[in-house]
Amino acid sequence: MRRAAPCVHVEDVDVAFRTPDQVVQALSGVSLQVEEGEFVALLGPTGCGKSTLLRVVSDLTHPGAGVVEVRGRPAAEARRANEFGFVFQEPALLPWRSALDNVMLPLEVVKYPAAERRARCEALLGMVGLSKFLNRYPHELSGGMKQRVAIVRALAWNPSILLMDEPFSALDELTKNQLQDELLEIWSKERKTILFVTHNISEAVYLADRVVVMSAHPGRIVATLPVELPRSRDPGVRETLEFVQHVKRAREALRL
Amino acid sequence: MSERRAEPRESLLEKLAPPALILAAILGVWEALVRFYDVPPWLLPAPSDIAGRFVKATNLLYHTGLTVLEALAGFAASAVIGITLSALIVHSRFLERGVFPYIIVSNAIPIIAIIPLLTIWFGYGIAPKIMIASIITFFPIVTNTTRGLKSADRRILDFMHSINATRREIFFKVQLPSALPYIFAGFKIAASLSLVGAVVAEFYGSDRGLGYLVITSATQLRTDLLFVSIIVLAALGVTLFAVFGYLEKLALRGEAAAER
Repeated sequence: MRRAAPCVHVEDVDVAFRTPDQVVQALSGVSLQVEEGEFVALLGPTGCGKSTLLRVVSDLTHPGAGVVEVRGRPAAEARRANEFGFVFQEPALLPWRSALDNVMLPLEVVKYPAAERRARCEALLGMVGLSKFLNRYPHELSGGMKQRVAIVRALAWNPSILLMDEPFSALDELTKNQLQDELLEIWSKERKTILFVTHNISEAVYLADRVVVMSAHPGRIVATLPVELPRSRDPGVRETLEFVQHVKRAREALRL
Repeated sequence: MSERRAEPRESLLEKLAPPALILAAILGVWEALVRFYDVPPWLLPAPSDIAGRFVKATNLLYHTGLTVLEALAGFAASAVIGITLSALIVHSRFLERGVFPYIIVSNAIPIIAIIPLLTIWFGYGIAPKIMIASIITFFPIVTNTTRGLKSADRRILDFMHSINATRREIFFKVQLPSALPYIFAGFKIAASLSLVGAVVAEFYGSDRGLGYLVITSATQLRTDLLFVSIIVLAALGVTLFAVFGYLEKLALRGEAAAER
């Protein structure tokens, strides 16, 4: 029997940006397969094109060359089918909407049944411990709370793929670790495919099934490291020898 | 925090008392000097004379109403046309490049110079006054609205694109609300300008309105009436500014300035 198409299929993708005085090769010959339900971390320094790769997958940036398919069809079609939930480094909430209304925003766009919107959003905010903050405005919430709202906003209409662009890098260490564990819990419950961009090595190892290491000038994939740590992971795993070895391997790949 | 909250409760009297006292002092000195040196009323009328004229002035309400009508009509036309044009500009690079130079030129033309032209075309009625009020308010409304529409968070726009939102949804759910603080800033500038436009237009060929009142009372050396007109205009300007400030607060409640 033929294997099912991968969730994300990227093949030989090139992306170039023209700036006034030069052409920057943001991605060069990038190929990547992500299986359904897989958690993949894209790890690399600034300028290696990892964010661009997320944009290419979600059809926000069009590659100059190469193939991008999502669940067996072109990325543009997947975008029109609302397959992608995007989370950014900053929460990027609408300041004039309450937490609840911010999570409702995508449901107004993707034509989610109006009668079920409120219950759905309340449940999601409850899942990340914000039941008491439904009607608070973004400026009344802490950084971690705002990012939780942004995450459930990207889950609201139940998209199959979560695209996360350094979502925790602006948070303090404690909040970051807390949110990492919450994300793993959400992932194990909701069975999303996650593409997670980060420049934090231990974060990539802690979260992902596979760490894809990228390098800059031109942006390309230099190594793919499977993470052979048991699920479900808890903070204790960070102190194990295996974890440290994985981090070491990723660090060496980054130096290439 | 609680101390800061407690302040407004005692503040209204505290806020109003100092400026009121200073005003009373100035008026008192003014009145005394005019009486003591016997200054002729055409040069500087005493505050009590101005107050008397204010009470006796016939048709003051009529002139005021007409000027306010011209100013607000011009303002409203400008707001509708200006915001629509801004919406088109942010959606079309061609329009932005093609139209913006002329918007800037329109601001450079001295408004006083085109009043005679509009009078030739549209006569001495209310129409050219509304047009002047509209032209003078156009620039701050268009530039502020355009800047506001462009201020929308780039990542939110990406998010909206990633869920295949339509231009219309992006405009009404993200860009327009993002622009509201800028639009209100433009409105507050435009509100006082619209009065200036209407009054200046009335200077040239008009037989009614506060501008007409200012010009005729000046040429006839009815200085007390001139003061009355100026005071009414100042009060109108302050009122319009306060109204838009209040509407702004109403529209932006729930948002913190720090968030922007």
